[in-house]
Amino acid sequence: MASAIYSAEVPSLVTDPGTNRAVPTENATESQRAPRPKKPNYGQIHSRPLPLETYPLPAFIPHNPLSIFRIVYVVFSQLFRPPSSHPSVCYKGYFSHETQSVHVTDCKTIRALWEKGFFGKGNLSRSEPRWLDQEMRKRGLLAQETSEEVTRKRREERRRFKIERARKEREAIEQQLREEGKISHPAPIDETETLDNAQPQEIRQQLSNGNINDRIEENGRIKYGRTPALPEKTPIKTTQPLKLDTRHSVEAAGIELDEEHLQLNPEEVLFLAYGLGVLEVSDQGIPIPTSSLFKLFCRHSSCQSPETQSIQPDDSFLLKYVVYHHFRSLGWVVRPGVKFAVDYLLYNKGPVFSHAEFAVMIIPSYNHTYWSESLERKVKIQQKEKRDWWWLHRINRVQTQVHKSLVLVYVEIPPPLHDDGAISELDVGNILKRYNVREFALRRWVANRNRD
Amino acid sequence: MADISVQEPFPISLIANRYLLFDVNIVTYARREHNICGVLIGTIPHLSQQNIFLGIPLELMPEEARLLVEKGHAYIVEDVESHKSGFLEMSREERLAFLQVMDKQGRETALSNKKKAEERSEKALQRKGLAGKAQESSPRVSETAELNTRAYTDADAETSLFDLPSGTASPIFSQNSIALEPYFITPTTSYPPLPIPPTTPTLSLPDVPRTYPLFAHLHSRGYFMTPGLRFGCHYTVYPGDPLRFHSHFLATGADWDEEFNLLDIVGGGRLGTGVKKAYLIGGADTSSKDSRSGGYSDVGDGVRAFSIEWAGL
Repeated sequence: MASAIYSAEVPSLVTDPGTNRAVPTENATESQRAPRPKKPNYGQIHSRPLPLETYPLPAFIPHNPLSIFRIVYVVFSQLFRPPSSHPSVCYKGYFSHETQSVHVTDCKTIRALWEKGFFGKGNLSRSEPRWLDQEMRKRGLLAQETSEEVTRKRREERRRFKIERARKEREAIEQQLREEGKISHPAPIDETETLDNAQPQEIRQQLSNGNINDRIEENGRIKYGRTPALPEKTPIKTTQPLKLDTRHSVEAAGIELDEEHLQLNPEEVLFLAYGLGVLEVSDQGIPIPTSSLFKLFCRHSSCQSPETQSIQPDDSFLLKYVVYHHFRSLGWVVRPGVKFAVDYLLYNKGPVFSHAEFAVMIIPSYNHTYWSESLERKVKIQQKEKRDWWWLHRINRVQTQVHKSLVLVYVEIPPPLHDDGAISELDVGNILKRYNVREFALRRWVANRNRD
Repeated sequence: MADISVQEPFPISLIANRYLLFDVNIVTYARREHNICGVLIGTIPHLSQQNIFLGIPLELMPEEARLLVEKGHAYIVEDVESHKSGFLEMSREERLAFLQVMDKQGRETALSNKKKAEERSEKALQRKGLAGKAQESSPRVSETAELNTRAYTDADAETSLFDLPSGTASPIFSQNSIALEPYFITPTTSYPPLPIPPTTPTLSLPDVPRTYPLFAHLHSRGYFMTPGLRFGCHYTVYPGDPLRFHSHFLATGADWDEEFNLLDIVGGGRLGTGVKKAYLIGGADTSSKDSRSGGYSDVGDGVRAFSIEWAGL
């Protein structure tokens, strides 16, 4: 595995022919159907897969000999004044001990890190930092719908559909019972039954809505602007959020300040700082050098012994970073996959373009002879390598439900550098060089269903 | 079915580390009275080219076997041993008696089969006779009529073809020789021919995985459980007979102090909610009840279970 991405390798990563393709057709169809608000041109916004600049040579056109001169000009100008692939000012973030992540508060940096490579997560949003957009939308200043709103709407729809389905099922059963003559007095029992069944549901809905509103009031920042328009809703329910809305808009009329910051997880930070060299992390105003950053994250990775200075070769952060770096180097957009019970999700171009294709699960693999030398080590390894079949079936089934393929990534753990069983040297490259990554894709296959 | 009484404790055969039940009556009894489902693993003889519907023997999970034994409803029999010793050490009288019983059974079967075959052939003849009359009365009425009769006779031919081996053979035999040839019966169970083996107290309780406390706990609450590997859990938990209900929980057992990955909860919760169930994780607090070790199946067994639902789906 490459220990770092050199700037010479970057152009091959950057030149992606598919980024701008979808744009003209999209515009054409939307001009015919006017009411739908225009989607932003994601191909253009996210044209850079990493926060680095590249300077490709101009195209050579065979029937235009002058293009050669342009190429020659660019080659020579770059030879004498090599342009920097890095941004003019290094991106800055600061380490937060409470969340064990790195926060980025500068607006431009946040946009740059999100747009070029999908790094980080907004602390008030699901992934892309869009809290300000949501706020503006609630005040009617913005037409663009946020993904959180789309999800909320979808969930609400699904919930209503489920209620409706349950009601229909109940009615069908009642109908059946009536036909069979099992309900002797159809009308009165029928009514009480429906009432009994309907009431708790309604109460539950109201409760849940109330809870949401309460929580939002406590928060004081976000509010539940979109009321779930239930057919059986009381008028009080619909007015309440409106009141909230007005009060907030008065209160927060002057809010232009984005209260959201970007959270980068340790792997992303190390990749940006060490792998690309575009991020500078500081702790209480003091910048942290890359090697101690590495050490810091390793120390925070396990809750058992934060004081020990030595880094175990199978440290969980180290494994995660190795895998992260591996897939980033191969051009994938890697995002954390906790919500699907895996370590990482791999996106082909990015989350705005398509769903994740693969779900990555990291498994340490102790094949080196060092690990089987003593009985004590063997027992320890067995514990760490142990996964049962139930675990595998569970993980795999979850991935099947969400149409991703599971990739088991085995990381070969090298023996420790020194005999005391730990890594004490702090050349990150040397440490990473010793790891090996194997991928193993897995799919749930049912004989009856997968017959083509 | 319900009137066939099963004598408790009933034997569970232990063959190659599997706990098996071979008697249909016992299988239904265990399901009906003790909420023990097991898994049918035997091929159905006349539907041998599929494995969706299976028949006896019924394989019990070690947990199920242990529970039945602990409660005194059943006992374990080393089947290979008892089978061997039972048949090799049979006395002459016993053997004769056994053969007689087999003979009797064979004769009964043959008799009932013969009776059935005769009934069938009689029916077919009757129908044929009617068809023949119809043909005699109106040889060529119309095209459709002929077609009808042809179809009719075709169908008849088919049934008679089907009946041929037994239908033709048995009347001849029965006419010629009054002594009916008995069928040769292969006994499907060991214990009607052999006397039911005695309980062997030396045999230890079945080895169970560490999820047993949870199993016993849920069982004591009246739940039915089947293995849940396909849902990535140890047991799928049904509130009643699995033929009547969908399962409510995907249960995973754990030790009280066992450390596990938080991702497991995410995965389990997600999977459970995706299939309209709740993920359930539970274990026994062994530290608080050292005095009553082994008594898992009581209600005060120290087992606590938590169900987890994924709210974001």
